[in-house]
Amino acid sequence: MTDPKPSTNDILSKIRAKNAAAAPAEQPAAPVAPVIEAPVASEAVAPVEKPAAAAPKGTSDILAAARAAAKPAGTADILAAIKKPAAVVAPAAPAAGGTPKSPADIMAAIRAKAGAAPAAEAAPAAEKSVVAKAAIAAPAGMSAAEMIKAARSVAGGTPVPPKVVLPAKPLVGKAPVTGAKAPAAQIERRTAVGELVVFLLSPVFIAWASFSTACGAFGLGVARFMMPNVLVEPPTKFKIGPTNDYAPGTVSTKWQAQFNIWVVNGEVDGAQMIYALSTVCTHLGCTPNWLEGEQKFKCPCHGSGFYKNGVNFEGPAPRPLERVGIRLAEDGMLEVDKSVKFQRELGQWSNPSCFVGVT
Amino acid sequence: MLNPHPDLTPSVLVGLGWFYLVIFLMNLLWTIRSFKVDGEYRNGMPKASLWAVYTSIVMMLSFYHFTYPVEGFMFSMPLAFKDFFDAYFSNPVLYFFLTILGLWAMIQFREWWTKPTVAWVLLNCSLIFMTLSLTDYDFRQIVGKPDNVPIVAMLFIVAFFTWIYFRRAVDNDRRIDEGRPLFEQEDNDKVLVWPDLVYTELICMVVLTAVLVFWGIALQAPLEEPASSMKTPNPSKAPWYFLGLQEMLVYFDPWLAGVVLPSIILGGLIAVPYIDFNKAGNGYYSFKERSFAITTFLFGFMPLWVALIVLGTFLRGPNWNFFGIYEYWDVHKVEAANNVNLSEFFWNGLGLGIPKGSGVGDILLRESPGIILTIVYFAALPPVLGLTVLRKYFVRMGVLRFLVFSNLILWMAILPIKMLLRWAFALKYIVGIPEFFFNI
Repeated sequence: MTDPKPSTNDILSKIRAKNAAAAPAEQPAAPVAPVIEAPVASEAVAPVEKPAAAAPKGTSDILAAARAAAKPAGTADILAAIKKPAAVVAPAAPAAGGTPKSPADIMAAIRAKAGAAPAAEAAPAAEKSVVAKAAIAAPAGMSAAEMIKAARSVAGGTPVPPKVVLPAKPLVGKAPVTGAKAPAAQIERRTAVGELVVFLLSPVFIAWASFSTACGAFGLGVARFMMPNVLVEPPTKFKIGPTNDYAPGTVSTKWQAQFNIWVVNGEVDGAQMIYALSTVCTHLGCTPNWLEGEQKFKCPCHGSGFYKNGVNFEGPAPRPLERVGIRLAEDGMLEVDKSVKFQRELGQWSNPSCFVGVT
Repeated sequence: MLNPHPDLTPSVLVGLGWFYLVIFLMNLLWTIRSFKVDGEYRNGMPKASLWAVYTSIVMMLSFYHFTYPVEGFMFSMPLAFKDFFDAYFSNPVLYFFLTILGLWAMIQFREWWTKPTVAWVLLNCSLIFMTLSLTDYDFRQIVGKPDNVPIVAMLFIVAFFTWIYFRRAVDNDRRIDEGRPLFEQEDNDKVLVWPDLVYTELICMVVLTAVLVFWGIALQAPLEEPASSMKTPNPSKAPWYFLGLQEMLVYFDPWLAGVVLPSIILGGLIAVPYIDFNKAGNGYYSFKERSFAITTFLFGFMPLWVALIVLGTFLRGPNWNFFGIYEYWDVHKVEAANNVNLSEFFWNGLGLGIPKGSGVGDILLRESPGIILTIVYFAALPPVLGLTVLRKYFVRMGVLRFLVFSNLILWMAILPIKMLLRWAFALKYIVGIPEFFFNI
């Protein structure tokens, strides 16, 4: 065969041509047998060689045997039968042409062995055939790597030379000390410091060291991120001026931007008082707007509305706005304490810490 | 005097001129098609001549827009129509009923509107409505906002795909009635994944990329002022695809509309294959064989999702008030919306007064009407439905599947029910326990 790597189609067409001829192609089976048998082990080779000579002469024989046994009913059966032996033949091609060039060829050879086993069972008439031998010879617990190795050794025509056992490399790899200039005797004389220097200069060490340094720096950066220089949280306690800054009946929005509160001077249950409302909508936390014209807080997100006293009356807000703590400080200023909340639905608005009575 | 909100500017007119030019080109092709396909009237006049007249009118309109000065421009949406529309159509109740009506009409008249000519007329109507409306400043502000362009596109895309579905389904239903083979079987020109499908996908990919690039260049990203926790934009809108959910948040507690309902939607969609026992309609379009499943889906998709997105995008303005499409977005628009909980209705209606007290027993007593109603709704309705209206389904599904199915249906129904209750009775919550953050 001139083509060192025939495709499946080529092989199939060849087989078909042989079948059509119906005559023994007299292709020597010898090249076939070793390909399949040899990889097993050296002791297996000897007994196999001889039966291989007496075995069917060519693929067509194998085919015929397989067909006789299988009694093909239809084209599909014939094709299937052809395919099995074809799998056996496949490795023969590269073997005849020369050494297999690619791992694909080698794998094909190995597969052919596996494929041959069922074919042998299906064809008792071909008991002594190469196929059967192949099946017997194929060891069960052979790893793929072993198979490849074995196949390579056989297909190459020469046994794989025992792998040259290289002297165990020192960690330094290709470090110049092990070069031709430095004889082995000198290496042994190196001090521990010298070995350390060599190790520190090795590419492996440099690569890992820089990688670890980068990771460490990143980790430090993350840790630093957790402790910001500036904490932009406004103080929770702050003065908002004297009571007469807030005229009766008004809502002051002047602290909205800075402290998120509205300061209201209004009448609640008959008593005039100043109280501070949190600007967080009780629905989903948007900031409502105070609409002077309608005298209500209106949330732009879902349309919740609150009266001036913070009680919800429209939209989806489930509860009134929250009051925050407020008191008249000793210096006569109003002092707001945002760290405490007062919720009306919990009855906390009667708590004197959340309003300052004015007269 | 300089009008800060001019309805028409030269650039708007030129833009509209291009718009009309596109409509003209579309109709030019359609006229050619009509001439080839539609045949003639009895007197020998080709039916395409009507389209030819319409097309030439559109062409003249296009040139008119390109050349005419702004002063004395004659062709715009009549003010009377705009006022009428804003006065009568700018409320959510009517809007919702119209979408339901539209869904019903879509299913009822599917044989009619899936005809190509009818669909083309409808498309032209919507396009002309668009161009006329675009002469209005407020409409342009909403529709022309780069944020909202995808929603306008979505409307046409949804309409188109729905049309394709109904056209195929109507065709197959007719075939089934007449005993002919299905369209999918008769016209079974199966193609290969490679190259037919992959090439199509490649072309789609390239076209889509080109459109996105063009879009990114032509329409600037709508950047707003820097975010601030103190100031919420008014109106503050979710991404457009979540506007349906945002609309739901108006009627429900955030916990319910933001967590429970979306989870149920997802879980329900996952459960659909296990609930559906109807094997018909597998691999082909059909409406009659799957009328219940498709109607349910369309109800959940069209009025409850797409229409709510449209509502949230175009019809919700500052303070989440409802605005007509030609209406100025007035921040100070007053809408009376004094919502009352069911418990207040109940106890005040009985003249007993709301039970006071903050103990758990008091709260439960206060909210007992709503709690009982909710339990009845979810526990008692499924058996009742199974024995009456949905008996057929109960028999086919068995107890467990039917319970899942009916509860999903009831969850879906709770959306419009709650919306109707809010609109009709200003009902805030059926069960309102702010003390426990539990509101239904």
